[in-house]
Amino acid sequence: MFNKVLVANRGEIAVRILRACRELGIRTVAVYSDADRQALHVRYADEAYRLGPAPSRDSYLRGDKIIEIAHKSGAGAIHPGYGFLAERADFAAACIDSGIVFIGPRPSAIAAMGDKAIARLTVARAGVTVVPGTEGEGSLHDEELLSIAPQIGFPLLIKATAGGGGKGMREVSCLEEMPALLAAARREAEASFGDRNVYLEKLVEGARHIEVQILADSAGNVIHLGERECSIQRRHQKLLEESPSPFIGEDEEFRQKLGAVAVRAAQAVNYENAGTIEFLVDKDKNFYFLEMNTRLQVEHPITELVTGIDIVKEQIRIARGRQLRHKQEEIHHKGWAIECRINAEDPYNDFIPSTGRITHTLLPTGPGVRVDTGVYIGFEVTPFYDSLISKLIVWGETRGEAILRMRCALDEYKIIGVRTNIPFHQRLMDSHRFMGAQYDTRFVEERFLIHAAEESKSNRPEIAAIVATLVAHQQTERAAHVIQHGERDTSNWKWLGRWERLHK
Amino acid sequence: MKYVTTIEAREYTVEILDERHVAVDGVLYEIDFVPVNNQPVYSLIVNGESFDAHVYPDEEIWQVLFQGNLYTARVEDEREKRLRATLGSATSEREEFLLKAPMPGMVVSVPGQPGQRVQKGDVLLILESMKMQNELKSPRDGLVGRVRVDPGDRVEKKDTLLSVI
Repeated sequence: MFNKVLVANRGEIAVRILRACRELGIRTVAVYSDADRQALHVRYADEAYRLGPAPSRDSYLRGDKIIEIAHKSGAGAIHPGYGFLAERADFAAACIDSGIVFIGPRPSAIAAMGDKAIARLTVARAGVTVVPGTEGEGSLHDEELLSIAPQIGFPLLIKATAGGGGKGMREVSCLEEMPALLAAARREAEASFGDRNVYLEKLVEGARHIEVQILADSAGNVIHLGERECSIQRRHQKLLEESPSPFIGEDEEFRQKLGAVAVRAAQAVNYENAGTIEFLVDKDKNFYFLEMNTRLQVEHPITELVTGIDIVKEQIRIARGRQLRHKQEEIHHKGWAIECRINAEDPYNDFIPSTGRITHTLLPTGPGVRVDTGVYIGFEVTPFYDSLISKLIVWGETRGEAILRMRCALDEYKIIGVRTNIPFHQRLMDSHRFMGAQYDTRFVEERFLIHAAEESKSNRPEIAAIVATLVAHQQTERAAHVIQHGERDTSNWKWLGRWERLHK
Repeated sequence: MKYVTTIEAREYTVEILDERHVAVDGVLYEIDFVPVNNQPVYSLIVNGESFDAHVYPDEEIWQVLFQGNLYTARVEDEREKRLRATLGSATSEREEFLLKAPMPGMVVSVPGQPGQRVQKGDVLLILESMKMQNELKSPRDGLVGRVRVDPGDRVEKKDTLLSVI
């Protein structure tokens, strides 16, 4: 059994995993790229080793180097977090081959679920309904995909076979635009996953994206921890999650049915450790298997808050060969949890990424508020990694209380130095459709306008006018002050030149 | 000191009377205005109401963010306003458009090649940043002028990438 864990990740998730290890009395090893020498995970770990230059492929994707460091430092296990090497069967296998425990599922389960086409075929055989598409056809050429597309029907989705997180994904509304979108999807898939293969899937309209968290031990026990509602997305990137799903609400029968199907899907690949089954649910509560994420999810904290179970610690216990501590009937949900993903991107400018040094930050606190973050004052947000800088999670007895808490917490949360999507979340919390849980996966793109300030009751342009004028005035005064008192800037010659010009 | 401050096409006449008082369109406000901790964050108390605002300077305008709303403000004194009115819309439609990097990143590909005819909305360049590929599009019809970057180049924010003439 291992007593030292290497965390093969960065950012908030590396910090999250380090905390779980510390609580369990396990020693920790961090790895870092040149861009992350000063990152929080390096400072929190017991030991830290350099991987290489900033780009991921030279650092956090260097599986060989990570295994070498694990051996050198005496770490008996590797936790991959999410992203990077988390869903690479070859990396998991390499760990096991060199005698290191991989904290996650077996390589065979990663491979089976990792190829989205094979995954769909596998669960379909186990009696789980999938969205109609080109599953199980292997990798197809553009001509083949173009000829199959009309049979599936439009609109449809092009998805990366090795994909996830909305990368390599394109929506197609007609055959004419498909060739260009195929090229774009393949290009992005290759850049993100090193694999150009794509498949097609029918687009279920008015759908909600609901996922089920499962835990499975090495003895074959599998339980589910209920669902997470993830329909608030933009370009297939999740922005906000809540648990339970307001769409399922009090319908315990539906919840257990969905949970049982998730458990069956996990058993179909002999799953071990924590995993998530994603479903699309239409307005009539028909549900389709979308994919399985064979790793810890970004949004795992909301399940932790409503179940009281620390999923990362459970992952470590399972990897140590222990049996699950809970039976299905012992899992109870209490209250409501919401997570807002705080990204370094500008919600007023088409969500383009924002980089820079964090010069000031003030974290929200108070009852029911949790912040998982990897940044601090002085930290540089670089263009090398994804834009998630922190997760703001709240718990309330009811959905209403959770929304009110989230509103307060967002208002308190200050991050200066990079633009963030906090104003987006604030606007969302004020939206009547969100409050009434009237939303599907298209809500953000089709029905939500951040610029609709006139609708907001908090619109105070005269206050903005006062602030802007005072700031501009102070700046003018300062400039005038410098000239008045002869407080020259760096060059005396420049000042002399100006003086002479003035007196000509 | 009198300023004309424009927010979303609405003009406000803001008169700074002294350290504690401003008048907006003739209405008097008692204020207490302090920068917080040398940051672009300001605490403003207006007639007893407290506001916390971020202020971002952006070229000739100010972006003011508070309570989850962003306001774009142009602040001019009366002389500047007259000057701009006479200059008016002197900038022509046919002026060269310089495509600048909206963020630091790496050039993935440059579909727009010199001399190529492009239409509004055509993809000029693909820039990867924070693991996302961003398609930078042409704001108008024209010809691609000089291309200053190659695929694989790293660029900084506001670097000029290419021009459309």
